[in-house]
Amino acid sequence: MATPMSVLRLPKGPDPNSRGFDPKSPRYIALCRPSVSTSAASGADAEELQKEQDARTVLRESFLRCLLSMTSKKVQFHMHEKVKVEATFGASDIDVLNFQVSDLHTPIGVQKEALIRCQDVISFTFDT
Amino acid sequence: MQCGWSLLGPLQWLRYINREVKVRAGNDEEHRGWLLTVDPVSASVVLVNFRKGGASVQVVMGHAVEEVEVLKEADDETAERLRTTFLPQRTLSLDPVELRRRRGAICKWLQKNRIPVEEAGEELRVAGVLIIMAPYRPEDCCSSNQIILGRIQRLIQIRPETDPDPDPPRD
Repeated sequence: MATPMSVLRLPKGPDPNSRGFDPKSPRYIALCRPSVSTSAASGADAEELQKEQDARTVLRESFLRCLLSMTSKKVQFHMHEKVKVEATFGASDIDVLNFQVSDLHTPIGVQKEALIRCQDVISFTFDT
Repeated sequence: MQCGWSLLGPLQWLRYINREVKVRAGNDEEHRGWLLTVDPVSASVVLVNFRKGGASVQVVMGHAVEEVEVLKEADDETAERLRTTFLPQRTLSLDPVELRRRRGAICKWLQKNRIPVEEAGEELRVAGVLIIMAPYRPEDCCSSNQIILGRIQRLIQIRPETDPDPDPPRD
């Protein structure tokens, strides 16, 4: 099943930077989640906020190193409806909303380059 | 469908690190492994399972996590293994004479290209904003300035290994 297939363009979600999008519309909220959630309760306590920020830094650095080690490796994505696809990981965007992959093996053919929406992914796995 | 996992916050997520956990996700998926980290931006859970000669990593997207159950805590050895899973492999340490030679060579190369650089112990300090650590390869450069980092890395990459001629390369 290695026949390359023609490019499929799926509708793109709202671009958070373009004008005219209502940030309160359900579609915007569903597809362009605010990237960082902060705990509102600790807003008043500066020390608590600093601890939270330190924790965030440690967690994020670890995660970024994980993404870094994934580049150019074969990754298996588990999507909704128990669909499993394999691809070579390229990059992620900063909000972890989209993954850029190459050689995506789908049930209907091999897509040379593709953008996978993270909302569609349940989990993914790879070997180091 | 959104369980509370994504809303817990970094301080709570930090407490799950270095624990063996069972994660239930959408799609009736269940994953088990050592929790390495939780991405604070997407609440995605990174699980590691050690195999012969490497590890298998599973990442469960934050929006799909339904339940995270802690099974046990990692011992020191496992914690150390987890900590170094994604760290770049350090090359074998070169002997000090070779290191000094390399440091000098890189320093000269940068100076030839009119980059302000000074030796500070075992490190090279470039323009006050970038540090090059042993063994002075492109991946050993640290800086918070993306542009300078890129330029210096590229410069080190194109450095001729053999004795360069006195003229610097044309831009």
